[in-house]
Amino acid sequence: MATVPALEKPPVVVAEIPAVQPRKGLRRYWHLYAAISPFYLLFLAFGLIPVGFSFYLSFHRWDGLGSMEWAGLSQYRYLVGDSDFWQSIATTVVIWALATFPMIFLAMVTAVMLNSAVRLKNAYRVAFFLPSVTSVVAVAIVFGSVFSTNFGLVNALLQAVGLDQVAWLNTPWGIKVAIATLMTWQWTGYNAIIFLAGLQTIPGELYEAARIDGAGPVQTFFRVTLPLLRPTLLFVLVVSTVTGLQSFSEPQVLLQNTANESTFSGGPGHSGRTMVLYFFQQTFDNNDFGYGAAVAWGIFLVVVLFSIINWRLLQRRDEA
Amino acid sequence: MRLSRRGLLRAGLAPAAAAALGGLASGCAVPTGSTGRNMVLWYWSGGLSDTVVKNARARYGSTVNLQAIQIGGYYRSKLITTMAGRARIPDIAGLKGEDMASYLPNADQFVDLRTLGADTYKSRYLSWKWDQGIADDGSMIGFPIDCGPVAHLYQYDVFRKAGLPYEPDDVSKELNTWERFFAAGEQLRKRVPGASLLTDVNAVFDNVVNQGSERYVDRDRHFIGDQEHVRHAWDLAVEAERRRLVSDLVNGTPDQLSAVEDGKLPSQLGASWATFDLKNGVPRTKGRWRVADMPVRPANNGGSFLSITRACREPEQAFRLITWMLDANNQAQGYVDAGLFPSTPASYGLRQLRDPDPFFGGQVTTDVFGPAAQRIAVAYNSPFDIALGQPVKDEIKNVGVLGKDPDKAWSDAMSKCRRIAEHLGVSH
Repeated sequence: MATVPALEKPPVVVAEIPAVQPRKGLRRYWHLYAAISPFYLLFLAFGLIPVGFSFYLSFHRWDGLGSMEWAGLSQYRYLVGDSDFWQSIATTVVIWALATFPMIFLAMVTAVMLNSAVRLKNAYRVAFFLPSVTSVVAVAIVFGSVFSTNFGLVNALLQAVGLDQVAWLNTPWGIKVAIATLMTWQWTGYNAIIFLAGLQTIPGELYEAARIDGAGPVQTFFRVTLPLLRPTLLFVLVVSTVTGLQSFSEPQVLLQNTANESTFSGGPGHSGRTMVLYFFQQTFDNNDFGYGAAVAWGIFLVVVLFSIINWRLLQRRDEA
Repeated sequence: MRLSRRGLLRAGLAPAAAAALGGLASGCAVPTGSTGRNMVLWYWSGGLSDTVVKNARARYGSTVNLQAIQIGGYYRSKLITTMAGRARIPDIAGLKGEDMASYLPNADQFVDLRTLGADTYKSRYLSWKWDQGIADDGSMIGFPIDCGPVAHLYQYDVFRKAGLPYEPDDVSKELNTWERFFAAGEQLRKRVPGASLLTDVNAVFDNVVNQGSERYVDRDRHFIGDQEHVRHAWDLAVEAERRRLVSDLVNGTPDQLSAVEDGKLPSQLGASWATFDLKNGVPRTKGRWRVADMPVRPANNGGSFLSITRACREPEQAFRLITWMLDANNQAQGYVDAGLFPSTPASYGLRQLRDPDPFFGGQVTTDVFGPAAQRIAVAYNSPFDIALGQPVKDEIKNVGVLGKDPDKAWSDAMSKCRRIAEHLGVSH
């Protein structure tokens, strides 16, 4: 195949160059940079530029189609005083807390059980992982029926034990509980798998040692398993915080109705209007792209704040 | 033959880089609109009759290659994004009625249909519908597809059992004011245990607002949602709640559908397209329904438009296509295929609209919807209408669902509206 000139040159030439003169990094390694460039180019086009543009947008007024108008800091000034935005933060945090803490507890229990399961180990793992790859929209539609007032499974259970019906999707707390339950159901299995991975990194000798020292299963869990799982716990907590604070599809699908009303209003009393839902409402219902961008940056700050709190909380205990 | 890994990589990289560069270069030359004989039409599922689209493709096939694309998901945001991106903009774009207010201030993005001779078609369309497609500067961007006249849909047997008027003519005649309509609701609740007149308070509020010739913001960018016409709708909605005429159910949920099926919600103020929702949602109620006039006067809910964008290279051709697709004959076909109620009164006399509807006990529903469509008042639909109407709708919902004190709810709604108005630069 002498017709291919590129292959005829011996690669030795490249190796000789450093001896002569160290070339500038970019000229010497350009092909390596080129090889990793697709990620950076895609990130630039679909990550960095949109993020930068949303920042630029937040200092303007724009209806999405016409010309942009400079607005200075007025969008942010309005954001700080916008009681609806603050309410949406509170709503999001409440739903996040209602979803995340039970979820972590259940995931941990599930992981410990999966870890000790003898038979059908992989079948269980797949079964627990499935909800997290199911479409949120489909799940929300199913949960909409589960929580419906007269025919819902939940109310049927309540009535079976002699309790009253609850209009889940029509009361402020009912809405929050329904959304949180959906999120818990969806993410427990996924996090259980992560915990399981964490559990399996704990060396068996430690358990052996604990057993020899006379520790029971409960003591072993709290003294050995939990401390060694802390990095995993941190990871799970941070990821759940970042995703939980951005919940959108769950309330949107669960609370939408067929009348041509806004699908972003979050139910009666805005009880299910999370931060991202509020962002969508401002941007797409009201065509207020500038303010929508400001809301998005507000959401960003809240998420950062919570991530820092999480991180500090678990970090400090490590030092002690 | 020496094939080193590095050599292979290099050989592979060069074409890849060339392709990437080429892609970038051609990226700079992305056409704004379509090219060649192509004519791209954007609409949504159920936005146009499939038969009419197919016939249009065949009829104009010798001159244009019509590519009708159904855009799924959130239609308006996709159209706006494409137009703002200035690339691959459709030649003809469907515009949903509820989004019209947001397109009209950007009329310069569309071709003014008057320049193509739209005025000669005006007399064939409902005048209020025609006016809805016209921007403040007088240019016409939307050509009428359908409209959504609202009527009173009710279950014949339930009304009869409750001792109410039950023949469509009698219902139209006797329940012609809100007071009489509400009184009928009270009687219904007494005679049929567990039955409610309407699903929620918003059914009253929204319809009363839609009946009027004013909404939340006027042409001078002034907030008018605190005035008598909105207050009147609010008071009627509160009254419906106080007299316990509305259910505690949520529209479209399984609970509500089953209540409709059981005759516990035997009455609805629904647009012409709501009849199709009923046929799909509660098919077992076939034959039990009738249509009558809604109280006071008809309202409109929904209905869309076709537009020609600035990117279209052959506006005359596009306009010929649009006017043919939306003539009286094809609109009648749209009614059959997709439940699009014609905006061309000439369609109302055509066979397709004169068929007795077995779902409505053999009634010819056009006898009610047709005259209703011709008596609708036009309201100015401001681009700020959605932002400033939402707080009021939200608060009336709080009254209905959460039992919030109406006076408190009204003052909350008004203070929120004032705050939003200030932010949007709307005077109040």
